[in-house]
Amino acid sequence: FYWHCVQQHARFIERFGLKELLRAKLTECGWRDQLKAHCKDVIKEKGLEHVTVEDLVVEITPKGRVLVPDSVKKELLQRIRAFLAQHAT
Amino acid sequence: MKMEDMSLSGLDNTKLEALAQDIYSDLVEDACLGLCFEVHRAVKQGYFFLDDTDQESMKDFEIVDQPGVDIFGQVYNQWKNKECVCPNCNRSIAASRFAPHLEKCLGMGRNSSRIANRRIASSNNMNNKSESDQEDNDDVNDNDWSYGSEKKAKKRKSDKVFLHSLKQHIPLNPNSPRRSKSVKHKNALLGPKPCCRSGSSMRAVER
Repeated sequence: FYWHCVQQHARFIERFGLKELLRAKLTECGWRDQLKAHCKDVIKEKGLEHVTVEDLVVEITPKGRVLVPDSVKKELLQRIRAFLAQHAT
Repeated sequence: MKMEDMSLSGLDNTKLEALAQDIYSDLVEDACLGLCFEVHRAVKQGYFFLDDTDQESMKDFEIVDQPGVDIFGQVYNQWKNKECVCPNCNRSIAASRFAPHLEKCLGMGRNSSRIANRRIASSNNMNNKSESDQEDNDDVNDNDWSYGSEKKAKKRKSDKVFLHSLKQHIPLNPNSPRRSKSVKHKNALLGPKPCCRSGSSMRAVER
């Protein structure tokens, strides 16, 4: 039931533009450029011709999660909580 | 999916918070994946390292902003006065006069059809239904081949009224305006093939 809620909310999130909001904020704060630079390292290491999506995902995602600035994280969590509170009744 | 399907009231605060955290990490992961896909595509399509071009190459292709020259640094006036050979009549024509010349030469422009229609109208007036004296018409028609005739054509714009009543069109063959065929088919439309290209000039005339 719990996970069902999460899934349902995922769809609502799209409609309420939380995805877009996060992406905009991450680009604004330089997170994207930081990670892109990291991507370049991975590509140079694995070779331009041979690099796969998996290579990138494995290398980038953990770092990406860590690199999110606290301010962005806080704001997003706030919005999510508010959203949930709205629909909790 | 309706709101009624989700009963969040059943969840207490800690669970709500956990839910919020999960949603958040979902969103972050989505952003990361998005970036990975974008980068991967850029790599495979070959545009990933585009902004890493060295300064020297960048200078080679810098946008040019000088007068008399386009943004690539090429002079754009140089073709103005060159001469072209008309594929139809094999005359050497100046580049800036080439397009109007082709119009007349191929009998395709609005003016050429007007001139031809006018000629037919006047030749119809002269010899009502007879098809004789074609050579006389030909002498009159010789004017078409020089630019001097354009002045005559402009003066006679009042003759436009004539043209409205004519359903005539000009076949593509440049010789045909002088031929008897155009008089024979005075008020009949020819078959689809010749019609197609001059159709637009016909419409302009009928306006």
